[in-house]
Amino acid sequence: SSSITELLGALCDCSLSGVSWKRRALGGVSREGFRRALKKRAYGALLSKLFQDGTKGSASGPSATANTPPRNKVLMICFDLRVAGCREEAERLEEQLERLSEGASSGLKEVDAVLELLVQLAGSAPPPPTSF
Amino acid sequence: MASAANANLNAVRETMDVLLEISRLLNTGLDMESLSICVRLCEQGINPEALSAVIKELRKASESLKASENSTN
Repeated sequence: SSSITELLGALCDCSLSGVSWKRRALGGVSREGFRRALKKRAYGALLSKLFQDGTKGSASGPSATANTPPRNKVLMICFDLRVAGCREEAERLEEQLERLSEGASSGLKEVDAVLELLVQLAGSAPPPPTSF
Repeated sequence: MASAANANLNAVRETMDVLLEISRLLNTGLDMESLSICVRLCEQGINPEALSAVIKELRKASESLKASENSTN
């Protein structure tokens, strides 16, 4: 029930976790000031992407997977994982995809949009630190 | 009426658990809190590609802040 602006603000707050503001305040960078700057960057990224979408298709044309359903994209990632020798991860991913209900039975309206987001973010996190 | 709402809540919980596991296997870097915010943004009609651009931009900004914090230590 929250608005888009509130949700984007909450997303900015999430990305600020783990930053020490006590010392930052002494250096003149306030949490509120940085939060404002983050929100500006978030809206900049959101709007630039939306405008790009509006003009897409004229110069370079749509990419080969632009119209591929996100579930198929996940299956393509499973194939890549298998080729890379990560069979267990591929099987686990396929299992989870089968568990994912479609439409109203999932309780969500936009499961495929969320899946598309996860595909877009795949591999974007730094690898976990190795422990010795 | 209440049982239908409960069933829907259970379905949402189960779907969120599956999405979190898929997110972890895909190494997206989203935790449960940010994933649930993203789910709500998608439910509000935000384009997933645009949302991924926002998340990457926010990561860049917070990483540069953390890096500057480390360099001043």
